[in-house]
Amino acid sequence: MALADLTLTEASEAIRERRHSPVELVEAVLDRVERVEPRLHAYAAVTADRARHAAVRAEREIAAGRYRGPLHGVPMGLKDLIDVGGMATAAGSRIRADHRAGSDSAVAERLSAAGAVLLGKTHTHEFAYGLTTPQTNNAWDQGRVAGGSSGGSAVAVAAGTATFALGTDTGGSIRVPASLNGVVGLKPTYGLVSRHGVTSLSWSLDHVGPITRTVEDASLVLAELTGYDPRDPASVPAPGGGHRPSGADLSGLRVGVPRNYYFERVDPEVEAAVRGAVACLAELGARLVDVEIPMAEHVQAVQWGLMVPEATAYHERGLRSAPDLYADDVRALLEAGELMSAGDYVRAQRARTLMREAWAGLLDGVDVIAAPTVPMTAAPAGQTTVTWQDGTVESVSDAYVRLSAPANITGVPALTLPVGRDSAGLPIGMQLLGRPFGEDVVLRAGHAYERARPAAMGRTATAA
Amino acid sequence: MSDLTPPEAARLAARAGLPLADARTAGVAATANHIHSVVSALRDLDFGDTPPAAAYRALATRHADARKENPDGTR
Repeated sequence: MALADLTLTEASEAIRERRHSPVELVEAVLDRVERVEPRLHAYAAVTADRARHAAVRAEREIAAGRYRGPLHGVPMGLKDLIDVGGMATAAGSRIRADHRAGSDSAVAERLSAAGAVLLGKTHTHEFAYGLTTPQTNNAWDQGRVAGGSSGGSAVAVAAGTATFALGTDTGGSIRVPASLNGVVGLKPTYGLVSRHGVTSLSWSLDHVGPITRTVEDASLVLAELTGYDPRDPASVPAPGGGHRPSGADLSGLRVGVPRNYYFERVDPEVEAAVRGAVACLAELGARLVDVEIPMAEHVQAVQWGLMVPEATAYHERGLRSAPDLYADDVRALLEAGELMSAGDYVRAQRARTLMREAWAGLLDGVDVIAAPTVPMTAAPAGQTTVTWQDGTVESVSDAYVRLSAPANITGVPALTLPVGRDSAGLPIGMQLLGRPFGEDVVLRAGHAYERARPAAMGRTATAA
Repeated sequence: MSDLTPPEAARLAARAGLPLADARTAGVAATANHIHSVVSALRDLDFGDTPPAAAYRALATRHADARKENPDGTR
């Protein structure tokens, strides 16, 4: 197997055992970048020289016996909303053309301390306000959307141009592109990973998390990202203990299978693959429990009621000083957000409280909830709507957000992992949601699945 | 409730301090009306004494110092 195709777990073992050096690994991934970037466009900026220097430094430290841990010497990409001191955080926007971040974001700081090697900044839908990332092509079919808004990060991981990456998730922006590109994405519990130094879309809904090739890889990255940070008002001290999952036995685990919402208006091939994966969890010992998703009819209203005015508030100055520099789709939403009332916003915040309480009740009865991540695989670029079997028409963006938004509103952890392909060969993702700070349970269930069905996991795009 | 017309959208935007060019008012009105139709569903809920979920801590952090740029990143 090519070095660029190693999972993070494999790569870090190879480095720790000194079978391969960080320099070899970084050169292999940079070589892959050179070959596939011209057609995939996952990166907004590649920092090859900086990466080579960091790899040499990591190699020397490891040779001197100063091994820092599983990310040491491993090449990764950061979504271009995440500040790295001295570099532009362009956020996919012309309005950030002259930007330079003054210092590292909390997560960049943590990854740097863990010895990870930054390869570059990955493309985002402009200011994360969209679900397609039009700059980037899907890793498996270049005529289809990457998904978004962390499209660059997901495509880089899927194509072997980053061993892992970070994304952000306000309404599915880690899980949607991870699912559409056949990789793993974890939106951690709200407050578990600091957002300090990460450009906000919506303070109430924003999360930062890993995109990787396996669930085990996601647990390795998460362990380096967590910790209380007073600079993020949502940050809370993380409950103790590691997140690394082990074992394939799910005996005693209660898996909730929604009878409403998550399987409605879902492509039949997606539903079949996810139900097959749920059956696999049962074969591994899990007990399946029918569950009713509470307040499902209010999900979109809460999501929009929080996100729209917060995004508009964040961009208040830019919208007045240089409105023409925003893309049309983003500008229209930001401008319309000026017309939303404070009453609508407060109502959404109160509904969020109600939804948290209702979900706490739901999660008293089960340990995880299993559902599709998105209702359909990657849409052809340029397709704007989807017509469902019941005759309803939905925008592609609304469809991609629909099954992700509950975890943003409630703040519960949500993992997506690949569980199959549709007849066009496009990846299908299953979402596992858990209790707040129940990452260990979600990762355990996901890891058990990937051990039972290894063929679905860890593969890079054949197109690469 | 009736939808906002483009001139009404322009007037409300101006009240919010955002002058809209004539060419934009129809599009902004349509988007605002769509958003309104979605979020209005929350009026069905009985909130009782439910507080909003916004976060606040009395103890100040150095967040403001840590991020000297304007929030939209422009200078």
